[in-house]
Amino acid sequence: MKRKDIILHLISEISGYLLEENPMRLVISLHQEKDGLHLSVMDDNEHTDKEIEKMEKDLNKPKRPELSGYYGAMTGQDLLGSSRLNLLGWQVKHADVTRTSGGIKIDLWLGGDKFDSRRFNIPEK
Amino acid sequence: MEKRNQFLLVLLTGIILSFIVLGLITDGSGDAIEGFLRIQIHSGRLISDFIPIGGIGGTLINAAFAGLVGLILVIILKVQLSGPTYAAILTIIGFGFFGKTPLNILPIILGVFLSAKLAGKMFREYIIIALFGTALGPLVSFIVFEFGFTGAAAVAAGLTGGIITGFLLPAIAVSMLHLHQGYNLYNMGLSCGFFALFAASLVRAAGHNFESTMVWYSGGSPVIIWLIPALSLSLVIIGLISEKINGIKEFLSIQKLSGRLPSDFMDLGSLGGALINSGLIGIFGSLYIFFVGGSFNGAMIAGLLTIMGFGAFGTHLKNSWPIVLGVILSTLIFGKGLASPSPLLAALFSTTLAPLAGQFGILTGIIAGFIHLIMVLQTGVWQGGMNLYNNGFAGGLTATLIVAVIQWHRSSKEDLS
Repeated sequence: MKRKDIILHLISEISGYLLEENPMRLVISLHQEKDGLHLSVMDDNEHTDKEIEKMEKDLNKPKRPELSGYYGAMTGQDLLGSSRLNLLGWQVKHADVTRTSGGIKIDLWLGGDKFDSRRFNIPEK
Repeated sequence: MEKRNQFLLVLLTGIILSFIVLGLITDGSGDAIEGFLRIQIHSGRLISDFIPIGGIGGTLINAAFAGLVGLILVIILKVQLSGPTYAAILTIIGFGFFGKTPLNILPIILGVFLSAKLAGKMFREYIIIALFGTALGPLVSFIVFEFGFTGAAAVAAGLTGGIITGFLLPAIAVSMLHLHQGYNLYNMGLSCGFFALFAASLVRAAGHNFESTMVWYSGGSPVIIWLIPALSLSLVIIGLISEKINGIKEFLSIQKLSGRLPSDFMDLGSLGGALINSGLIGIFGSLYIFFVGGSFNGAMIAGLLTIMGFGAFGTHLKNSWPIVLGVILSTLIFGKGLASPSPLLAALFSTTLAPLAGQFGILTGIIAGFIHLIMVLQTGVWQGGMNLYNNGFAGGLTATLIVAVIQWHRSSKEDLS
């Protein structure tokens, strides 16, 4: 899939997920490098700790190439029904979900084999 | 994850080995192997129950070896054993009673492999497509044994046909997903049916008519009657022993999921919960066949193993019953028999539409089941019986219709002004 298509699908899926709660504000930020990208999405809705924990778990699933290579094609395209963060989770290098003053921020990092996490700001654990 | 992988490897290997042993014991090794060889040279188009063709022993061995091909592939490619691969292996084993042979599935798998190479992808990214794409195994057998070729030319033609089929499947499969948006579990059924429409049309254009096939075992062997109930009960017990109360809790939590593709119940719930679900689906499916007076045979085993497999990948008791009820209503209203082959198969395989009930409710599920039966009675002939997942094809068409209507209705209701 072309990079532009991947980005569009990601934005669509993650935005679709947050828009289900009808936020008043939704901010999307994209930072691209040659071998990867960082997508950040913020809303202004209250989310419980349980929701945030579930989001982070779904977005940091172990990689499932047998699923992402096939069913990943539905990401951001087939929006009838609930958005599914695990479709994203199989495809991202890392994801973080943090509270902001008014809502949450979801950070997604994607990249190929040459992805260098130091060029982005993936927090070290 | 690694523990789950090993557990499922042992479980699936155990199922395959027990089928082989049971096959050898039931008919004796000589007859069983002869029967197995007879099956290899049968076209396997719908509806071809392999039991009258190869005997119970030969059929069990065929099913085991077909499943073994799939399992070996998963192991070699280091693909995780979980809901989708569990569903795929059980489906292949099931259809080893009803159309698939180790020989007729290999060219298709090879074709998908070549497609992955050309697309610059790892083969394991297409493994699910390869495993379920074996639904078109009868197309390969048809070319070799029915189309008029002989000898080496027949084998070459079958091999070529299978490879081309497998090569095109990934492209078709991804497109078909968008039609029903994951609400038809047997997406490869829709994809293979779509491809088979063109293949069957080409065959007819070349002047060949498909002879209708109906091979249906009604012998009532205790081995065939009790095989799936025993396996199903074993799965429930294994699920309970492995996770005890937690297994039951996760089984109950699985019932709340819509089941929409791709819902790996072993991941979204737990291994134990998914096995309990899988086993209970097998039990209820068997009870249904028993209560309507249906025959336990190769086709029914294919159906039961498939729905049990998908008991870890989309189907559960709560999202299945409305669909099956819809099929029952449709069968009765149109004057068909519940125990007749097509409605009976439809009742089991209609659970491909379970996510529709899971997401949109009971009424949608009943309507989906109702429409599904009407469609499935026609679609087999369209594709010359070459697509074993005929119910997946009909289900895909049904799901596409329903999804289109729901989507239109929802977009019509929402208004920014």
